[in-house]
Amino acid sequence: MFLFRIIAMAFGGLWTNLFRSLLATLGVIIGVGAVIAAVSILQGAEREILERFESLGADQLIVLNGSSRRQGRSVTISSLKLSDADAIERDNPKLVAATAPQVQAGSQVKYYQRNVYAPVLGTSPAYAAINSYDVADGRFLTREDVRGNAMVCILGYKVAGDLFGVRSAVGMKVKIAGKSFDVIGVMVERGTLGFIEVDKQVIIPITTAMGRMYGRRKLTSLIVQSTDPTKLVECIESVKKTLRSEHRIRAGKPDDFIIFTQEQIKENFAQVAVIFAVVLYSIAGISMVVGGIGIMNIMMVAVTERTREIGVRMAVGARRSDILIQFLFEAGIISLFGGGLGVLWGLAVSNLLDTVVDILTTYTPPIAIVFALVMAMVVGLLSGVYPAMKAARLDPVEALRFE
Amino acid sequence: MIEGEQLRKEYNMGDTVVHALDGVDLRIAEGEFVSIVGASGSGKSTLMHILGCLDRPTSGELLIQGQPVSSMNDRRLAAIRNRYIGFVFQTFNLINRTSALDNVALPLVYTRKPFSKRDARRALERVGLADRARHTPSELSGGECQRVAIARAIVNHPKLILADEPTGNLDTGTSAQIMEIFHDLHANGLTIVIVTHETEIAVQAQRMIQMCDGRVIDDSHVDEARRREVVALVESTRRRMFRTRSAS
Ligand SMILES: Nc1ncnc2c1ncn2[C@@H]1O[C@H](COP(=O)(O)OP(=O)(O)OP(=O)(O)O)[C@@H](O)[C@H]1O
Ligand SMILES: [Mg+2]
Repeated sequence: MFLFRIIAMAFGGLWTNLFRSLLATLGVIIGVGAVIAAVSILQGAEREILERFESLGADQLIVLNGSSRRQGRSVTISSLKLSDADAIERDNPKLVAATAPQVQAGSQVKYYQRNVYAPVLGTSPAYAAINSYDVADGRFLTREDVRGNAMVCILGYKVAGDLFGVRSAVGMKVKIAGKSFDVIGVMVERGTLGFIEVDKQVIIPITTAMGRMYGRRKLTSLIVQSTDPTKLVECIESVKKTLRSEHRIRAGKPDDFIIFTQEQIKENFAQVAVIFAVVLYSIAGISMVVGGIGIMNIMMVAVTERTREIGVRMAVGARRSDILIQFLFEAGIISLFGGGLGVLWGLAVSNLLDTVVDILTTYTPPIAIVFALVMAMVVGLLSGVYPAMKAARLDPVEALRFE
Repeated sequence: MIEGEQLRKEYNMGDTVVHALDGVDLRIAEGEFVSIVGASGSGKSTLMHILGCLDRPTSGELLIQGQPVSSMNDRRLAAIRNRYIGFVFQTFNLINRTSALDNVALPLVYTRKPFSKRDARRALERVGLADRARHTPSELSGGECQRVAIARAIVNHPKLILADEPTGNLDTGTSAQIMEIFHDLHANGLTIVIVTHETEIAVQAQRMIQMCDGRVIDDSHVDEARRREVVALVESTRRRMFRTRSAS
């Protein structure tokens, strides 16, 4: 009850100088706002990325073309061949269950007047099994399709919907980049696989993609499924050995490919996130220090301005500790208030980014808001300590005489 | 009820020592109405601050209802100021941003007990300002401000009112109103000590203390003859001043 009165009086003190109090908290507002916005972006990105990698199996390796530094610039070396996929399977029967070579491109897909632009994936029959991603209708690719460079395609769920509506697409003919393909299947609805929206994707035989369609000699990537997720490290070593010998890399020379696992990607991301977070929290820390100094400054002014008031309070029976608490609360409340405005500002910024920037999804964890507010409060209390002590130590007679 | 023995207050001003109080012996009984007069700088305010436990003497002892103040800590003194003593200042010393009612209620806050604002309202009624409860000090006249200050001084039902030149900033008519309130409080049993420069005001007390250079030089009962004498003197001075002014 008594404390409540003191807090009410602290509010009264602030209210008379609302604008000045707000100005004093600018540092806190900016600091807290920046933290909230940045945390939202980071958390959003992390969620998105982790979610996507979750959909990749823990037993998979992804082999990508390597890169080398030339004149300070990183250049991709297209090194993965179609034969690498077979070689990996052949050389590591105990460790590798299957491989799926991938060539990615994009083309217009047409059915009479209907027209969509779709990512086109050239791959092998193993793709469906590796990703546990199968057809809803018709059939998937076969070895014969691949061997024969067949002009067949399987449509992603949305592509089929866009081109054929509710009618069955299987058996129809579509034009991909002007070339006629038979639709042999439609995939189940899946959303995304890794970073790819597979529902909007069209799958064709790898040989057709590399040959007649896009004239590529190298793969975009290669998925390797291991037989045993606990032997992933061994599997990586083994695949590496095969690829080095296939690519005729002499001992001591660097790989011309990169092998990733889901774990590694997560770890890499976590490392980047940590660096990002450190930078972010340093900035936040500095703004909070600046904010704290601002509050301390304004509290010193308030104590001087209200010296007489402090004398009066003491004359009517306030203890020194009552004065201390009142000014501490004032500092804490201003700062908390600044923190609240900062949170609103941060949320506004992150929402704006979410809607304006297409690839960005932001997420603000509630705990971050609580943390930011607590931090603001603590900064306020800390920076209020010195002014409040100054107020509490005033000599009542001197204070009453103060002009 | 309040007793000072050889009260001294010294201020060190570099190489000189100012003796604001230079050995004051004083005894004020319950129910008295005392005025303190003296030249500027004679130590009246200093004495009031010490009597009101706002300040401690450099040496000597103050007894409040027999209890030595030197043995009390700051907390205890704050409690005494809160419950036992009411201060009235020359410059009112109200908190400008809050209403008259909140100003009056301030001592109740520091009593640390649940209270209702009704007590504060009752105190305002006693000084005849119930209708101004919601006004802030800047919306009140000087006399009204001083009445609010008196209401604040009495809200916690203290035993002793200490008023340091309460009419110093007010005109004669308003001063009379304020004095009226003090007389009323006195009639209701409060002990009143009032510092003043005006003899007219001082003789309204039952007892008048004169100070000079930090000492009490006279402490006497004010009888009716003295009172009439002073009033007559003041009247004639005023008439004379009026005449000279109109002549010139
Ligand atoms: N804080 C202080 N430091 C130094 N000297 C002081 C201080 N307070 C009071 N004094 C001195 O003590 C003496 C008594 O002061 P005090 O205020 O008690 O006088 P007063 O009788 O109330 O005067 P007035 O009628 O002008 O109010 C004065 O000489 C004053 O200068
Ligand atoms: Mg004085």
